[in-house]
Amino acid sequence: MPPANLGELEQLVLLAIARLGEDAYGVAVRKQIATRTRRELSFGSVYTALTRLEAKGLVASRLGEPTAERGGRRKKHYTISAAGRRALQRSLNAIRTMARGIDASWGTP
Amino acid sequence: MTESQVQPPAAAVWILSRLLGDSEREAYLGDLEEVFRTELAAGRSVRSLRRWYWMELLRAPISRDRTHVSTPSGDGIMQNTFNDLRFAVRLLARRPGFTALAVLTLALGIGATTAIFSAVYPILVAPLPYPHADRVAMLWEREKNGSQDNLGWQTFDDLNRANKSFEAMAAMSYSNATMTGGDQPELLKGQRVSTPYFSVLGVAPAIGRAFLPQDDIRNTARVIVISNGLWRNRFGGDSTLIGRAITLDGNPFTVIGVMPAAFENVTAPGAQYWLPLRYDASLPYSCRTCRHLHVVGRLKPGVTGSQAAREINTIFANILRDHPTDYSSIGVEVPQLQVDITKSVRPVMLALLGAVLLVLMIASANVTNLLLARGAQRQGEFAIRAALGAKRGRVVRQLLTESLLLAAAGGLGGAAIAQVGVKALVALGPASLPRLSTIAVNGPVLAFGFAITTIVGIVFGLVPAMHASRADLHQGIKQGTRRTAGSSRLTRAALVMSEVALAIVLLVGSGLLLRSTARVFAVDPGFDAAHVLTMQVQAGGKSLPNDTVVRAFYDRVLAAVRAQPGVEAAAFTSQLPMSGDFDGQSVGIKAHPAANPADNPSPFRYGVSDGYFEAMRIPLRKGRTFTAQDVGASPHVAIVNESFAKKYWPGENPVGQLVTTADPSKDQWMEVVGVVGDLKQLALSQQESNAIYVPETQWPYADQAMSLVVRTKGDAAAIAPAIRTTIWSVNKDQPIVRVVTAGQLVAQSESTRRFALVLFEAFALVALVLAGAGIYGVLAGTVTERMREIGVRSALGASRSDIVAMVVRQGLRLTAFGAIIGVVGALALSHLIASLLFGVSPLDPATYIGVTAVLSVVALGACAVPAIRAARIDPMETLRME
Repeated sequence: MPPANLGELEQLVLLAIARLGEDAYGVAVRKQIATRTRRELSFGSVYTALTRLEAKGLVASRLGEPTAERGGRRKKHYTISAAGRRALQRSLNAIRTMARGIDASWGTP
Repeated sequence: MTESQVQPPAAAVWILSRLLGDSEREAYLGDLEEVFRTELAAGRSVRSLRRWYWMELLRAPISRDRTHVSTPSGDGIMQNTFNDLRFAVRLLARRPGFTALAVLTLALGIGATTAIFSAVYPILVAPLPYPHADRVAMLWEREKNGSQDNLGWQTFDDLNRANKSFEAMAAMSYSNATMTGGDQPELLKGQRVSTPYFSVLGVAPAIGRAFLPQDDIRNTARVIVISNGLWRNRFGGDSTLIGRAITLDGNPFTVIGVMPAAFENVTAPGAQYWLPLRYDASLPYSCRTCRHLHVVGRLKPGVTGSQAAREINTIFANILRDHPTDYSSIGVEVPQLQVDITKSVRPVMLALLGAVLLVLMIASANVTNLLLARGAQRQGEFAIRAALGAKRGRVVRQLLTESLLLAAAGGLGGAAIAQVGVKALVALGPASLPRLSTIAVNGPVLAFGFAITTIVGIVFGLVPAMHASRADLHQGIKQGTRRTAGSSRLTRAALVMSEVALAIVLLVGSGLLLRSTARVFAVDPGFDAAHVLTMQVQAGGKSLPNDTVVRAFYDRVLAAVRAQPGVEAAAFTSQLPMSGDFDGQSVGIKAHPAANPADNPSPFRYGVSDGYFEAMRIPLRKGRTFTAQDVGASPHVAIVNESFAKKYWPGENPVGQLVTTADPSKDQWMEVVGVVGDLKQLALSQQESNAIYVPETQWPYADQAMSLVVRTKGDAAAIAPAIRTTIWSVNKDQPIVRVVTAGQLVAQSESTRRFALVLFEAFALVALVLAGAGIYGVLAGTVTERMREIGVRSALGASRSDIVAMVVRQGLRLTAFGAIIGVVGALALSHLIASLLFGVSPLDPATYIGVTAVLSVVALGACAVPAIRAARIDPMETLRME
């Protein structure tokens, strides 16, 4: 199976999971994206991406322990899979290649 | 509330937990709750967090492929419904303008219909609040001309004794009494009833007892049953009142019972007390021709109304045979009580219900049109769904969910509108509207509102749904969102035509009523109503024990009122035109004695003071009016109106003729000294009838209530408090009621017509606006769809005016077809409101032409905006878009 193409949202979520490591779950992923990109995503969008990524085999999940602040519900922790890493590298490479030279002319701050 | 107690909105959590797939439900909800609590702890307001949670719900992922119905598990259908619902909410929220317009239109239609139904329901649908109310019937004598009349006591007694159809029968008469002791003397309304009255209705007093046969015997201890309202308001709901005496008209009455709060006394609405009738055959006013009693009876179980009517008429035929000179009536009618009390307003209520249903149909047509226009834009979406394997039923279901959701929102808004509407309706309603107190938005009314909401939702949802699901896959995808299928355009045109047609029907109805009302109020009442104040003055109680004292009281009042500044003239009359007063008197004419006394003329009788004709400005045609010298001791005189003179002395001089109100054999003749102009006693729309005026002081007994008419120099209403004070300065124990200007009386006499007119006008206006919006909507849609064609046309040389003309032509064609159908419909339907019309034929050409003109102007206005937009289309741009 050839590496899957990633949508922008999927890229952001995958990157967030990669950054968070062991701590990656819904709230943390959304917060990571919010603090770095100033984009307030809805959980609907986050979970749509997560479900799709998991279905493509790009992330794996496991259930954590229930906590009181979550109304006694368990967290679902996500980790990036080898296929996920490859897909992410591929699409980041594509962006870097395409963007080379443009950043400077736009006068990136 | 501490933070730990604040929870995410439970309803949203519940809905979400049913929407989410098993794999993510727990983590998803946990995440939401975690953020909810963290943000709350960080100081964000509960309100904004709750709003955020609901927004999250709207944006929650669609966990399963929505276009497949193949979920085999039991909750699959539920799941789908939720998905449909959520999808529908999102769609509607995304187009707030469209949604608001559709919901508002529906709310108007549903609200107006519900409000009208709230009045129709208690009057025409719900049974009266008595056990087996269908067995309660009224009895009336039937005249030769088909009109109904009261019964005399002996007639009632004969029917009551001889019949086998009724369980019980009761005679009723009205009663007034003054209660003193408060700040102002208070006039109470009551009823005199024979013993079984309450058991005929099937309602027993809440405390105490009802009347017993021994209460209905003359000159026994005075007993009284009072209403719950009187008991609460005047006696503070004191339960020890039973057995104690209260004072009415200066006499003590022992309270024996208090009726339940829910008791509705439809035979005399507003009655505050009941006294035993206490008639027997020895009384002069018990005679067969003394027809002033109402009679109500309860049929035995299993006896039908027509069986009872047959038996009663057989008995009555025997009575007629035994007393041939006592009756002008030819039979007895036995209508069900409910039919009897609602008879007069039934045509109005049915007309209003019909009108408001037309409004609802127009509103539904409009929303259907909006949905169709949107369905056209969503063609691509449906096609893609179908291509992905969605079955036709699935798409129909989704669309029905949307339309039902719209209808539900409209229904909720409608319930709010109905609440306000009912208040307006009750305020506006004519006094003749029966069961006014029971008109409210209650359970059955809400159920009706819910039912029409559902029907409307399904009907206007099905049309676009069928169109959408029929759409050709290939065409749909290829053409995307730009063009609509031809069939949908046809449907929309048909809908707009029917809107126009329905609006025309409503406009014709309100136009006819408008012209009728104008005609009615152009009728000369026969007196000058401007600057006239009227009020009824009661004279009774211990302080006015006999006729001499009562008459002296009236005289002193008149003198005091005439001395008031701002008073031009003042006089008393025993009955006031258009006030609801109704007093006829059999009159014998010396020159033309009638073989049967029952065939004597029965004109309205007015006992008046001197100066009455001058104060009312009733024109004198012949002879003289009454003067202060026409008193009890002087020769007895009378004045008749023109109709009377023409009918009974055609070609003769009425002045100098002799008439009597007593038995002609007693030789108590009055000389006619004058003839005055006719006036309208009952209502402007009624025919003039005969009238006889006599000096009040020459009448055998003094009237216990007289109407004071005061002609003022300035504003009639403004002087009322001063006049009242003046009367009470003469005797402070006499109640003054019904203080109104003569102008108000004239207006009130046509209040039913006004009521119908105001509502019809409101409905017609809504219909006009909706039809205009419908025409605009369709034209705006076609201009968008035909953008390219119009561009090509103007590129090929069509001028702007050509293009404007093209669009306007299309709009006017729709209007013209609709108007033709509407006019035909109105011609067929307008006879249904014939009973509400006056001086105008239901086929009045001026109304039909005027209405069509009004609609045409609105239609032109609706065409203008799309036409101008079409003319501004730049051909280059539209061609580039391709």
